[in-house]
Amino acid sequence: MSLLVLEGLRLQAGARTLIEPLSLRIEPGEQVALIGASGAGKTSLLHALALASRPAAGTLRLGGQDGWALSSRERHQLRRTLMLAPQHPPLPPRQRVVTAVLAGRLPGASVARSLRMLFSPDQAQARLAFDALDRLELGARLWSRVDQLSGGERQRVAVARLLVSQARLWLADEPLSALDPQRAQRVLAVLQDAARAQDRTLVCSLHQVDLACRLFPRVIALRQGRLVYDGPPRELGARQLDEIYADLLNESPSTPDDAPMTAAPPQAMCR
Amino acid sequence: MNAGSAERHDGPGSGRGGGGGTDRALSSTATAPWRRDPAAARRVGLVVAVLVVLWPLLVWCEFRPWELLDERSLRATMRFAGQFLTPRVDLEFLTMLAADTWRTVAMATVGLALAWVIAVPLALLATARLSVSALSGRMAAGPAALRWAVRAVLVVLRSVPELVWALMLVRVIGLGPGAGVLAIALSYGGMLGKVYAEILESADAAPTQALLRGGAGRLQALLFGALPSCSEELVSYTVYRWECAIRSSVVLGFVGAGGLGQQLDNATKMFAGSEVATILLIFIALVAMADRISAWLRPARTAGQGGESRHPLSARPPARWGLRALLAALLALLVMSVVTLPLRWGELLGAGALAEMGRFLAEFFPPQLAPDFLGRVGQGALETLAMSALGSGLAAIAGLAVALLASRPPGPLRWASRLLLNALRSVPELVWASLLLVAAGLGPMPGTLALALHTTGVLGRLMAEALENAPPQTAQALRWAGASRWQVFAFATLPQAAPQLLSYTLYRWENNIRAATVLGVVGAGGLGQMLSLHLSLFQMRETCTVLLAMLVLVMAVDACSYAARRRLNH
Repeated sequence: MSLLVLEGLRLQAGARTLIEPLSLRIEPGEQVALIGASGAGKTSLLHALALASRPAAGTLRLGGQDGWALSSRERHQLRRTLMLAPQHPPLPPRQRVVTAVLAGRLPGASVARSLRMLFSPDQAQARLAFDALDRLELGARLWSRVDQLSGGERQRVAVARLLVSQARLWLADEPLSALDPQRAQRVLAVLQDAARAQDRTLVCSLHQVDLACRLFPRVIALRQGRLVYDGPPRELGARQLDEIYADLLNESPSTPDDAPMTAAPPQAMCR
Repeated sequence: MNAGSAERHDGPGSGRGGGGGTDRALSSTATAPWRRDPAAARRVGLVVAVLVVLWPLLVWCEFRPWELLDERSLRATMRFAGQFLTPRVDLEFLTMLAADTWRTVAMATVGLALAWVIAVPLALLATARLSVSALSGRMAAGPAALRWAVRAVLVVLRSVPELVWALMLVRVIGLGPGAGVLAIALSYGGMLGKVYAEILESADAAPTQALLRGGAGRLQALLFGALPSCSEELVSYTVYRWECAIRSSVVLGFVGAGGLGQQLDNATKMFAGSEVATILLIFIALVAMADRISAWLRPARTAGQGGESRHPLSARPPARWGLRALLAALLALLVMSVVTLPLRWGELLGAGALAEMGRFLAEFFPPQLAPDFLGRVGQGALETLAMSALGSGLAAIAGLAVALLASRPPGPLRWASRLLLNALRSVPELVWASLLLVAAGLGPMPGTLALALHTTGVLGRLMAEALENAPPQTAQALRWAGASRWQVFAFATLPQAAPQLLSYTLYRWENNIRAATVLGVVGAGGLGQMLSLHLSLFQMRETCTVLLAMLVLVMAVDACSYAARRRLNH
């Protein structure tokens, strides 16, 4: 059975259409890269997959359940099967890194366990957080406060939160946007290995087209809210990539933090 | 609350980051940092310390809330509360109340006008912004000493609660609105003066200094340099204090200044529940009206400036068009108040009255310093301190609970909890105390509860705003992962809002130490009770010692809270 089935899903923000009707199927254990120019709808689609924004039309089935036909309580239960790491990780500045990471374990945790985590995590919990951080080269930051971290370190803390979560579906929104190229590659490798080892499904939006094409068996491309490609990267030709990023080449990107990577000509990236 | 405060206590020193070579090396060594939480010992210590401090607080406050539920007090409460449901609304009573309401408003208005007259010259003397000698390096010794002395006067004026001023003024000039007006004038004069000086100093120094350097006089520099940039804030703070003065003037009625407070005092003493209900309703309406007017008059201001003015409000629509009209109306109100209040200015400020005041003050000295008396004063000070601390603590917990409901998305729960907060807030501590005395009898516990009730209203509203203003993305990220509502609160919203919540609580504690001394006057124990006792026995030297103890206590709490708040915002 497919983990995630989208049928004719359309997303709307007021009068503006964010995602044109879109159908999609993602099997358990798959690893999918989501590419597209800035403003193409990558984040909107991830929010839709995370049951975070209600579609204007269409259905979304997660693990066989129609997410938006459920009562809000049941839908909230269903959300425990997924975890979204937003692009700009929203972490409370005065929280400790260990707490921020262990927050990934909150869904379904009991009151006592959650309070224990908040007050002072026990050894097993601290070990869990440390291992996740250590794989991302942040082990030494276990007991630091979030406001002592740089932007890139915070982003890796958000990835660590994903690594400790028990959700079956991991959604990562540009998890590498604040990292330098070498580190980005290592972090992505850690994320993919962990997903494979723990039998998670990974959907990851990326602006590094080369990484997406090289490391993911399946690439989904969006352009102006429309799905323009879904398949293995080797069939994704240079012309198609040009089309996907056409808007970007014509006009400058709207988000400055994406600029250094996306400005490079995409066809050169996918060899 | 514990978890939140523990979160905050993570100093920068708690991080292990930085040292230890590369991360890889660290993971393979036997250091295993997950084995020991560096903050755990401190957190456990903090919890233990809170519990250890809590115990004597509970003892000193004689905090036994179950006594409220024993049969006898329940019966008294029920009878009293039963009458509440049928407020007295006959015409005779209402006409009397209308006159008293007017007298309350008039007392507040005239008092604040006098306070302004006291505050402005003192503030101008106190502010370093208008110093000519400070233009070229350090301020000269003479002016610096003068500024220091003026500041000390301001601090003394505002550290003595208005009710205590009133108690003493009633001795000198007799019962009546005069004592109330002067009491408001003195204590609010101190508050306004201090905050005016702070506002002037927080503004950009350049325009004023440029004028002074150019040879302008101090007054010219003030009018053309400082006022343009601070006038809004000054007006805003003054209007906010007017609102507070209305609440105070009700309280002053309790010591014989007349107005709604005196009626309320009489009605509670006679257990006339239906009259109390009417007066309270009128009072709540009056405070709500003053609140609306003052909110409308005040331009949206940025929170977090000025020493006293923690009254952050959400942005208000710029309703400047009617501002002048309303200010004119306030002026008319002032004129009418002066005309209608039965004040005998000649008697208040004539030579005879001044001589009488001098004789009265002379009796205060020297203060009583006998060791066993000092011991009792110390005991009273501890009791007052315990009341204020426990009341603030309880209010912080209750306020946070109600604020959680009040910051929910629109719905009946939000609406109901906001209504509750407003009702709690608009009844002053002293009125709560006089109501609770019916149920619980005399003692520090009703005082503590009264403090807690009023403070819950104030803190609840501020906390609800702080929670709503916390960035929502953090909470959203956890909600989207299926975390439950309280988990989201504990892991995302609270750690973001905690510093603000704590600094509001500390600020209210400063207020409550004053309020706790006042509550003693109606029988809640502590320094206030000693003051009213010795004052009624004409033991002026003892009274003087108690007053000094109050000053020291209030200043010590102010200093503690100021230091703690600075650390918080660090």
